[in-house]
Amino acid sequence: MSNPAETKPLPIKVITISVVLIWLFLAAFPFLWTMWGSFKVEGDFFSRANWFNAITGPVTERQHGSPFTLAGYEGAWIEQEFWKAVINTAIVTVFVVIISLTLGTLGGYALARSGFKYTFWLLMAALVFRAMPHVTLVSGYLLPFFQLNIWGYLPTTIIVLVAINQPFTLWMLHSFFLSIPKDLDEAAMVDGCTRFQAFRLAIIPVMWPGVITTGLFSFLLAYNDFTVTSMLLSQENQTMIPQINAFLGSTQEEGKVMYAVAAVVSAIIPLFVLILFFQRQIVSGLTAGAVKG
Amino acid sequence: MARLRLKNVNKRWGSFVGVDNFDLDIADQEFLVLLGPSGCGKSTTMRMIAGLEDVTEGEILFDDTVVNDMDPKDRDISMVFQSYGLYPNLSVYENIRFPLRVRKIPKEKHDEMVMEAVRMTELEDYIHRRPAELSGGQRQRVALGRAIVRRPNIFLMDEPLSNLDAKLRVSTRAQIKNLQSKLKITTVYVTHDQIEAMTLADRVVVMNAGKIQQVGTPTDIYDNPANVFVASFIGSPAMNLVQGTLENGVFEAEGIRVEGLPLAVSGNVTLGFRAEDAEIVEGPAQISSPVYSIELLGEASMITWRLAGSLVSIKTHKEYRADIGAVVNAAVPASICHLFDTASGERIAHG
Amino acid sequence: MPHKTFLSFIWPSLVAMLLFIALPIVSVGFQSLYVEHEQVLVVGETCGPFGCTEEVSVDAAAMAALRAEQPAGQFNGLGTYTNASHLATDEIAEIFATSENFSEIRNRIMNLPFYKALIFTLSYTFIVTPLVIILGFIIAVAVNAVPAMLKGPVIFFSLIPMLVTPLVGSLVLFWMIDSRGIIGAALQSIFGDPSLSLKASPTLTWITLFVYGVWHSAPFAFVVFYAGLQTVPRDTMESAMVDGANRWERIRFVTIPYLMPLATFIALMQLMDNFRVFEPIIGFSAAASATSLSYLIYNDLRAAESPLFGSAAATSMLTIIGVIILLLPVLRQNWREFNRKT
Repeated sequence: MSNPAETKPLPIKVITISVVLIWLFLAAFPFLWTMWGSFKVEGDFFSRANWFNAITGPVTERQHGSPFTLAGYEGAWIEQEFWKAVINTAIVTVFVVIISLTLGTLGGYALARSGFKYTFWLLMAALVFRAMPHVTLVSGYLLPFFQLNIWGYLPTTIIVLVAINQPFTLWMLHSFFLSIPKDLDEAAMVDGCTRFQAFRLAIIPVMWPGVITTGLFSFLLAYNDFTVTSMLLSQENQTMIPQINAFLGSTQEEGKVMYAVAAVVSAIIPLFVLILFFQRQIVSGLTAGAVKG
Repeated sequence: MARLRLKNVNKRWGSFVGVDNFDLDIADQEFLVLLGPSGCGKSTTMRMIAGLEDVTEGEILFDDTVVNDMDPKDRDISMVFQSYGLYPNLSVYENIRFPLRVRKIPKEKHDEMVMEAVRMTELEDYIHRRPAELSGGQRQRVALGRAIVRRPNIFLMDEPLSNLDAKLRVSTRAQIKNLQSKLKITTVYVTHDQIEAMTLADRVVVMNAGKIQQVGTPTDIYDNPANVFVASFIGSPAMNLVQGTLENGVFEAEGIRVEGLPLAVSGNVTLGFRAEDAEIVEGPAQISSPVYSIELLGEASMITWRLAGSLVSIKTHKEYRADIGAVVNAAVPASICHLFDTASGERIAHG
Repeated sequence: MPHKTFLSFIWPSLVAMLLFIALPIVSVGFQSLYVEHEQVLVVGETCGPFGCTEEVSVDAAAMAALRAEQPAGQFNGLGTYTNASHLATDEIAEIFATSENFSEIRNRIMNLPFYKALIFTLSYTFIVTPLVIILGFIIAVAVNAVPAMLKGPVIFFSLIPMLVTPLVGSLVLFWMIDSRGIIGAALQSIFGDPSLSLKASPTLTWITLFVYGVWHSAPFAFVVFYAGLQTVPRDTMESAMVDGANRWERIRFVTIPYLMPLATFIALMQLMDNFRVFEPIIGFSAAASATSLSYLIYNDLRAAESPLFGSAAATSMLTIIGVIILLLPVLRQNWREFNRKT
């Protein structure tokens, strides 16, 4: 791979390495800082005296006898019952992912295999729907949902998130199915399958890479959602992100802000793990749309 | 065993015509090749026979049954696809067994039928492998095995050799020919390679732009091309074609003059002849022009002129040498010439 | 695939989108034509030891009956669209009639809530999007040139600001720029001004939000460009080297043209996402200095006593129109391509 034309002069090497290191710092530092700080008390994390206190934690040591404390987590998870929000988030994400993918694979497969013009219009409509700010849709839901008395429940929110997620899921799976040769399901049909059997026997066994990638993004949408969950769920059914926002209202008193910090870190950790295991799929998912239009 | 009839079959997408009025009878046990450049409608025709594409107009009959509205699975056909369409998650054995499984053929018969197909396609050593672990030629044979395992009424093959390298193509071609004659199953075979068509077919259908250009045996099509398109598509090298004028039985164009052609025709015509029919001569002859290039093919040499804007080539013995630019003469007697109407491209007469 | 089969595969997805995307848009359009009922007032007498006093109160029962009968409120036509908190047609006319110079017009328009939000939304969209593309490209080119062992960790950490939800991401930064947080304190000591606060001035708040937007989205551009860089045709690159192009010229004449379609793709995605900017405003508690269209809707729906459905719906409709205008070039281009194909 190395040829004379590609060896770089020193200044360029220095510049590229420093750009990368600066970026690495910008991207990673805020999270590492907040994670570290979440084990401190407010007097250290928001130190009036010296920012260095956030690292060493003298006030924490004075209050809890050790430079690290789980007080923030205790307050958030137990006192403020953050664990309920975690369970709700788990329920919402699991169902949103499963339902989105079920509907999306069927629809995406049909869009990829039908040659008629209306597929173009459906995909364009999906693109426009994808661009709608979610809060505009929410303003359309509230009144009917109040009337029908289905506001505030988890299933309602799950279905809404599935629907909002559909345009994206359809696009993604549509372009993924286009990359599976048509020959495969046609061979199955000639061999004696109906269209649905061909989908089940020939396509389902080979579609998992695309489905996993799409599933990751469905997961992120449901997990990260604030707009829909904060407006459509009643207080007791609240998920993590709106719950964090709710903490902010009650954090004026000394110490409470650390509950929010602990909750934020709790919400970030699963994403760390997710990226750790699925980095390749996420990158390929982000670029799939770009490569295939 | 079945006879296959296509009655004025049309395929249109909006205003785009894919197949235009395709009308043909295919006899039982016949090996029919659909030949044409890409986009000529040959694959679409086959896919309509398979039921993978709707027929816009016309009828397709298997024996005496109209199958237009039948699903592919009910047509009792099997098909070999260009990219094989093997199930990547199944072993070779299971790939070949798949049609038996989904068609609910009694389980106890499966092993015997699959092993028979495995023997015929010489895949005995690979039955437990996955498609990803096979070479292109082996995958092709799995697709073939899957097609024959069930002894369908009709075999359809869509460019089955186009993904193989040249050497493998020759041997697999022979294997397909051999299998078909053993199994005696009506076969429709799509290709853009005229050598495949000539070597395999009982009859060839040459298509272009959705229309049938000519139907006939390979010899027929080679010796009597129906129009300029067929003449330029069949043969290697293809037929030489020169545009010029014909008057009183004399064809004239820049660098070429042929006498003794039929008197009945006159006007703008295209003269065609095959490279192997003409020969280089000393002294005055029909072609007399500076050489454009000389290529050594191994078994022969090929001399090329540029006459009236078209390249014209003649094969001669392998020791022949000439300088590019030197004037060389060649004999093109009227008896080896074909005449086509320049405007319509249709054949007018034989020289 | 025949129409019937197509439909049998796609109907669940289609029904979901029709019910929960298309229908709500219709519902929004409908709601925007109505306003909340006026309060039904009753005059009652409360009598005490010092005589009776008349008291005006809201007749809860009558209000409930009215709401049950006409849940959307009373018909208002396009009134909501033109009132002071939306297009403010009268106010605009007055401003132009009575203002003396441009900066006065600007200041007075910035006091109208809808225009204030629109201007912030557009500024955010059209400032953040190009910066994201440029920064993403620079990072991608730099990462592409560093040793392979660095690439994995860089991509790992780059994905975090993008995948963490905006509310959480902005909170993390918000705590750091607090005057007691590390960045806030650092800025104070750099500028030697102990009262400096990024939250205090509107301009600084806007800049903070823009910086957050770039930080949040640059990884997306980076990842897409980086993937694109892996596929830059080697032949073209090598022929440029043979032709004598230097490093910069190779980027200028080979890499950038090759990545142009990706830049268009990123721009499209970013325009859509940035136009709905909303969560950072909550995360940074920036509503006093910067509001966006989405935030206005959220705020109306969150109104303390009863949600202002009509007002939220009118803003929603205007936002939807904005989205469609934004997408128009894309749709037109797709339409042309589609026509060329058929």
